[in-house]
Amino acid sequence: MSESGFTVDIDQNQYLPEGGRTVDAVVTVTSADSDTALPVSDTPAAEIIIVDCSGSMDVPQTKMASARSAVAAAIDVLHDGTAFAVVAGTSQSWPVYPSNGTMAIASDATRAEAKRAASSLRATGGTAIGQWLRQACAIFETYPAQLRHAILLTDGKNQHETAEQLAAAIHRCEGLFSCDCRGVGTDWEVAELRKVSTALLGTVDIIPDPAGLAADFTAMMENAMGKQVADVSLRVWTPQSAVIQFVKQVAPEVVDLTGRRTQTGPQAGDYPTGAWAPGESRDYHVCVMVNPAGVGQEMLAARVSLVASSASGSEVLGQGLVRAVWTDNAELSTKLNARVAHYTGQAEMAGLIQDGLEARKQGDEETATAKLGRAVALASKSGNEDTAKLLAKVVDVMDAATGTVRLKKAVADADEMALDTRSTKTVRVRKEQA
Amino acid sequence: MSTSETVAACPSCGQPTESGDAFCEACGTELAPALVSTGAPDFTPACPVCSVDPSVPQPVAVTPDGYCENCGRKVPTGRDHVELDLGLLAGVTDRGSRHSRNEDAMALATAETPSGSAAIAVVSDGVSSSPRPDEASLAGTQAGIRVLLDGVRSGDDLAETSLDAVRVAAADLVALAGPGGAPSATYVSAIVTAEAVTVCWLGDSRAYWLAAGDSQRLTTDDSLAQEMVSSGLLDEAAAMTVPQAHVITRWLGADIPEPEAHVLTFTPPGPGAVLLCTDGLWNYLPEAGGLAERAMPAALTDPLGVAGELVKFALEAGGMDNITVVLVPFPLRSQIHE
Repeated sequence: MSESGFTVDIDQNQYLPEGGRTVDAVVTVTSADSDTALPVSDTPAAEIIIVDCSGSMDVPQTKMASARSAVAAAIDVLHDGTAFAVVAGTSQSWPVYPSNGTMAIASDATRAEAKRAASSLRATGGTAIGQWLRQACAIFETYPAQLRHAILLTDGKNQHETAEQLAAAIHRCEGLFSCDCRGVGTDWEVAELRKVSTALLGTVDIIPDPAGLAADFTAMMENAMGKQVADVSLRVWTPQSAVIQFVKQVAPEVVDLTGRRTQTGPQAGDYPTGAWAPGESRDYHVCVMVNPAGVGQEMLAARVSLVASSASGSEVLGQGLVRAVWTDNAELSTKLNARVAHYTGQAEMAGLIQDGLEARKQGDEETATAKLGRAVALASKSGNEDTAKLLAKVVDVMDAATGTVRLKKAVADADEMALDTRSTKTVRVRKEQA
Repeated sequence: MSTSETVAACPSCGQPTESGDAFCEACGTELAPALVSTGAPDFTPACPVCSVDPSVPQPVAVTPDGYCENCGRKVPTGRDHVELDLGLLAGVTDRGSRHSRNEDAMALATAETPSGSAAIAVVSDGVSSSPRPDEASLAGTQAGIRVLLDGVRSGDDLAETSLDAVRVAAADLVALAGPGGAPSATYVSAIVTAEAVTVCWLGDSRAYWLAAGDSQRLTTDDSLAQEMVSSGLLDEAAAMTVPQAHVITRWLGADIPEPEAHVLTFTPPGPGAVLLCTDGLWNYLPEAGGLAERAMPAALTDPLGVAGELVKFALEAGGMDNITVVLVPFPLRSQIHE
């Protein structure tokens, strides 16, 4: 482990055939196990819990009660000194605690006050998630924290504002805080919530039964409390005239970061990775198109640096080199790097599941069967057992290896939504020993 | 040119020195230091394309890891083509046409001892499938030549010194290993004195004796091809066509912490030349007789020129690998008659 507490490893086949242009590499970023090795943010963390209080939260009544307990459970996990707030959302949004729209500092007293305030939450009104996000934004801005994180809970579709209004609100929050989203029940829209969680570098998942909320909120908040380094980016330098095809996080789940680039120099751009806890490891797939050089020539196709940004400037935490070497030895140039191939398959699988479910919704059974069948084959081949199990609740698998499947006649909404939300989860493969 | 009447001056302090001194009596400077193919000390890396492109703002930076900051091209290092000449022996190493860098290395030295002059050479070929093979070959030759030169100056047993040098070089490569793997390299050394040639090796870099009539290969490769030949499975030409022919079975590197090197003492029957080379040359001309035809008799008087000719021959034949050629004429050319 380097002095910065982070390592950056590159796994690739650097050999290209004559005239070859596409360079793929898997970049593994790992933070040190011991928190003392990591740089520490100089301001405490800030957390906001956003709770859906729309009328449907009372159907069944246990939903609102479970939400109140879940908020209380999450508050109990807050470390002393953490800035926090609780926000309620309907077609409007308002601060529940502190009621003046600022942030409280966690202590026994404030935790108790916050739980008391949360216990008075009642279900009434509509759903405008963009309003909730803007409220959270305004509250976060009252307190100078680096690690800003929110938990958002909803049970319904975003009915009381337009998709454009939601998109604008999401854009307003990008880079300001990260957000984990949870949908309770099955009346909410996976694609809608995924837009929020993807843009705000968080997770999205379904809690079909309200009884599961408290445990999930506790786990989410514990995870958030573990984060230690804020605003870490991948800085990718590429040669003149090279084009970045994509930059994706591929483990623990697929997140396409390509469109999130911020130009930081004539040949470099930053892609946000969010906050990091000690002992975390994530994989990224970087694909660059370069101008080919002659056989025997070598080129630096990309330099991938891990950069921590703060008010005092940016610090390079680690770096790896993606190389390209042109060869006329076909044995070298045709060899697929095992991890590049694996993650290409996992990303394809996620896309097939989302497209297959959409086709199924539209009544296009042929497309749905083809896409989900191919996803079954990829899940089976890559050993992604969790996804294979979720797929088996939506299709009858005749032969996993060839992806021969039949759509199930009756599928529980919760099973379909669980497959959709978790379609991006990947399994990791280790680097081959050289 | 005759310098036989003048006493050599120390290159550092200018004081006259005595023949046979390893160090200047006045200032302690090493008088005949080993030369290693690290590249010219005044070499400034520059991108061959962008540094002469008028549309690119100058100067174009080169990254610490040796790439052009503008186009990403690997910038030639000082090691791509190196010629070393110590009079008693000379060598040329070249990147070749198909590899992006020169992973071969060589080191040359001479010593004056009470029993006469000695010429010392080490040649090493970094194993391409290991990480940082260029560093491995350089570290191996540097460590090897240091031990050999000390041993020759101290009058130690030359076979023992040769094995010692391999042990020290192996230990240095063990230290190079890291989480990314074990940098590895082949190794062949030769000590040529007035009486004999002591050769020591690991892997498939070779030593040959080239003479007018009775040329021969002195080394036996540590390779799968050689194993097939030795076990009688295939003849040499057939063995070299097997895909795994070049896979070597012994090398310097952390995965073999104490490699068993071969050592051989050869007494030349008459005048000739000792050739050390990597497979970048011998792939194109494996037979000692064929090499002798190209090298002799010119190598007796012009080792640098002939080493250059042999490298050129390998480049013209395809230059598929890095090429290193070292030649030591025998009997050693006495500096007095130069």
